[in-house]
Amino acid sequence: MTVILHMLLCLGIVVAQASLSTFVSAHGIYPDFCLVLACVMGFIAGEYKGLMVGLTVGLFQDLLAPGGIGLNMILKGLAGTLAGVTTHTFSTVTGPTVLMVTLGLSLGCGLASLMVAYPVLDTVVFFHAFSTILFPQSLYNSLLALGIFWFSNKVRHSMGVVNFVQGRR
Amino acid sequence: MPRSEHTFPLAQGIRRALVIVVILFLTLLLFLPRQSQEWLGQVGDPLAMILETPLHAVASMQDSLQEIWNHYIALQHVWEENETLRQKIRELEGERNLLKEQAIITGQFQELEAYQETTPMMTTAARIIGRNVSNWYQAMIIDKGARDGIHAEMGVITEAGVVGRVVRTNPTTAIVLLLSDPNVAITGMIQTSRDQGIIQGTPQGNIQMKYLPPLSPVQLGDEVVTSGLTDDFPRGLYIGRIQQVTKAATDLFQSGGIAPVVDFSKLEGVLVITSFQTSTPASQISPEPSPLP
Repeated sequence: MTVILHMLLCLGIVVAQASLSTFVSAHGIYPDFCLVLACVMGFIAGEYKGLMVGLTVGLFQDLLAPGGIGLNMILKGLAGTLAGVTTHTFSTVTGPTVLMVTLGLSLGCGLASLMVAYPVLDTVVFFHAFSTILFPQSLYNSLLALGIFWFSNKVRHSMGVVNFVQGRR
Repeated sequence: MPRSEHTFPLAQGIRRALVIVVILFLTLLLFLPRQSQEWLGQVGDPLAMILETPLHAVASMQDSLQEIWNHYIALQHVWEENETLRQKIRELEGERNLLKEQAIITGQFQELEAYQETTPMMTTAARIIGRNVSNWYQAMIIDKGARDGIHAEMGVITEAGVVGRVVRTNPTTAIVLLLSDPNVAITGMIQTSRDQGIIQGTPQGNIQMKYLPPLSPVQLGDEVVTSGLTDDFPRGLYIGRIQQVTKAATDLFQSGGIAPVVDFSKLEGVLVITSFQTSTPASQISPEPSPLP
């Protein structure tokens, strides 16, 4: 049942990414909902769930993206895993951690995508892409992840759910 | 002890007589002619004025109360009716906007359909159902896919000009990479000078024409069309206008920035070119008949 729910969530996120991205864009920059979902799942449920959800949502995203199948799947899977590992192994899951880890992962995934999308890039274009697309999008992603994480924490606390994965292991 | 017992009998008689006199006087007044009654009216005017003042006051109070009743209390149902009507107006406005939107979309698709009927190319009309799923590609998703005969490398146009190229198909959808994406490159030419070059997007989302001959007399505002050298677009489809020409001293070729004729952000429907005649045999080309003298 959980697997089906996760798959439906991934499907919904990719559809939202394809149809709503223009509505949530700020100066032409829109967040990568799929990356945010993978990271938040890693923060909340640990690296295994982060990996599985990341792989699934990345696969769905690849099906609707012009690039080859596999890039987003791998990147999102890695992002979910690293989000889980970083926050549950080396740190506690706090707001600033979520913000910084998502920013780092988003920058990493964006750089990898940039290299694949534009294999031949001169330095000027690269810095232009970094400053106008990559960094703003990473910031947008991390703020969104922080908001969702904060909201989900509030909901879980109000429902009395024990956050047993929080903190150092 | 009753007070009447202390009054004088004379005084009682006078009072009775006075009452009788007044009654008789009033009775006589009824029988007096009308002209004689006028002086009574003059006597009554001040009294009437005294009566009128509170009467007016009461009447105005009554009016005020009536007004309050009519406007604020009795009109409670009117207020409710007003709210209902306002709601109805909002609903009708929403419905009108919906119909207007449908009319606009229908109009756009009618234009596409009209173009589809007149153009010699075989095309399939498709609706745009999604946009970029990644910041790194300028792409859109259309609602026709492999089942509709769409496959990769097919050209995508509107009645205005070139849009992009299909890069991947799913059974019922296809991914179209826009002309403004760096991964799309098509051959184009300046319509007036016939100089050819490569049309390609930039990471900034602009379109440029590269490898223009160094001696090409390209000018701002020149129209750029497809040259038909590749298999995805026939010759002569409108791409845009030259808006910038650059040539550094060390460059072998000129390049130009292009303002596309199609506004990619406002597209709702496109045509996918499924087949076209790339060239006409020379034997079929006939000179235009010259008019008889």
